[in-house]
Amino acid sequence: MSGAQLSAIEESGWGTPYRFVQLTNPAFWVYLIGVGAGAVGLFKFFAPAVGPYSAALTSGIVLFAIYLGPWLLLLRHHNRYTAQPGGLLATGFVWGGVAATFWIALPANDALLEVWSKVLGPATASDWGAGLTAPINEEWSKGLGLILLIGLAPRLVRSAYDGFIIGAYIGLGFQVFEDVLYVYNNATSTFGADQLSSTLSVFALRGVAGIVSHALFSAIFCAGVMWVLGRVPEDRKFGRGVLACLVAMFFHFSWDDAGALAGGVDWLAVVLPWLVLLPVELAVLFFVLRHAATTERGWTRALLEPEVAAGVVDADLLTAVSGLRRDRKRYRKHLGSRRRARHLIEAAGDLAHEIATARGEDTPRVQHARAELLRLREA
Amino acid sequence: MTAAPPDGWVPVEHRLFGFDRRRFRPALFVLGVALVLIYGTQALNAVIPWNDPTRAGDVLDLGDGATAVPPVGWQLEDGALVGAGNSGTSPTSSSITLAKAGAVIHLQGARFDGSASAFLDQVASVSDRTSAVSGQRTSYTTAAGLVGVVESESGPSGDGLRAAFKLATGTDADAAPALLVVVRTAPGQFERYRDQIDALLSSITPEAAR
Repeated sequence: MSGAQLSAIEESGWGTPYRFVQLTNPAFWVYLIGVGAGAVGLFKFFAPAVGPYSAALTSGIVLFAIYLGPWLLLLRHHNRYTAQPGGLLATGFVWGGVAATFWIALPANDALLEVWSKVLGPATASDWGAGLTAPINEEWSKGLGLILLIGLAPRLVRSAYDGFIIGAYIGLGFQVFEDVLYVYNNATSTFGADQLSSTLSVFALRGVAGIVSHALFSAIFCAGVMWVLGRVPEDRKFGRGVLACLVAMFFHFSWDDAGALAGGVDWLAVVLPWLVLLPVELAVLFFVLRHAATTERGWTRALLEPEVAAGVVDADLLTAVSGLRRDRKRYRKHLGSRRRARHLIEAAGDLAHEIATARGEDTPRVQHARAELLRLREA
Repeated sequence: MTAAPPDGWVPVEHRLFGFDRRRFRPALFVLGVALVLIYGTQALNAVIPWNDPTRAGDVLDLGDGATAVPPVGWQLEDGALVGAGNSGTSPTSSSITLAKAGAVIHLQGARFDGSASAFLDQVASVSDRTSAVSGQRTSYTTAAGLVGVVESESGPSGDGLRAAFKLATGTDADAAPALLVVVRTAPGQFERYRDQIDALLSSITPEAAR
């Protein structure tokens, strides 16, 4: 086993199993406190809805549960390098949906919104309060979930890419639970009249806005947190990390206060979020994703380089599996088959993960992954 | 080569009361920041007093030109005044809260197709009023000619009234946005504010009447 391979295995933590119940770990108990208190808050919030607003609540839960499906598929697709265990991602999702939303953000937002109203006056607070409140309370409450996951799985949560993926899951949990909360709030604003239509209007608006919402903000914010913490030596980039956190908070602010930023100009209030903020935020998201993946790509390369010498992986495939989108695109063109390129890249990724899981040993699973790759190459 | 330790095994030098003390740092950081966010913001809110009293000449913005005149000297806790910045208030979502001593007046705009009385029925259908006794529902006509309905209520926690209006007159009324006014006072306090509440209700004006 090469030194680079050994180093990649040690630093990446790939293949380390995740166990949620850890009775001797204080982070586990803080997680339980947060989610437990959040569940109580959630119950207290929605309890009055049962009965008068049950049509809105039920349809909201069903619609946003369906809405969750494509999101999970998209995030699974982007979880290409680390392949974080499902249990770990679910732990983050629940923190985002229950603890961050109902334990921290809801009471903190209420209090801070009232502070702005007192300090700035009700009209100014109405215009700017949301954008001055949510980026602080919500980005931090979601980011705390990542810190807890570091405590729960220190070997698994290592790089900025880990932060990016886990942050997206935490943000998605926050987003979906908040969406249902908005459904309820909207139904109460009409005192329960025409609840299904009220739910559908919230679903349409929040569903589209969700493209650039909590999952995006948290992915950028949590990648920033990991750069600040620098849990692997080459991933410590303090300035970049702080900047990423501030950018995520600014995006959250600008989205929440787009109407006020437009200065009361109706057409600008429509153009600003959809034609200016949305493309900028997506561009920044992919920029952060690309840079966050650098360390993981290096690990993939280190794990598979000995396989090039052994003739299992060729140089082009190594570049594709450890490279960027443009490298995979080039590989597809080189092979002339999109399907074949996808299979080979995925099989090479499997081999890298099996080597890491086996900690460099030549286990039957590693041998099988290698044989599968050779089978596909010869096909 | 040393075998990997069993799951959950904490080396003795890292134990503190049976816990893995290497994990205290993230756990305490999260707990500390969470408590600051939850209770720090509430403490900050508690120490900052309200200081935004309504003054003579103030007019409440109910959206799209609809207005009401607040009683003087009450705290404007939520909502916008006409001419005070870019409020963007919509008549279907306006929310105004005025408070004074043991009394709170809340004005809430809503979308509703139907009469003011039907709107008040809808409000009643989703409200918990088991602890209050409602008075007779009566008609109320504002100075601008808006016809609404008012009913008083009384319970162990205090007295109050609910009033509902549609923000238009004549044939346009049913399709116009609705406005709910809820007044709550501490026990025995309602009479003290009756004239001011009456003046506020009477001052509610739709856009067309401006």
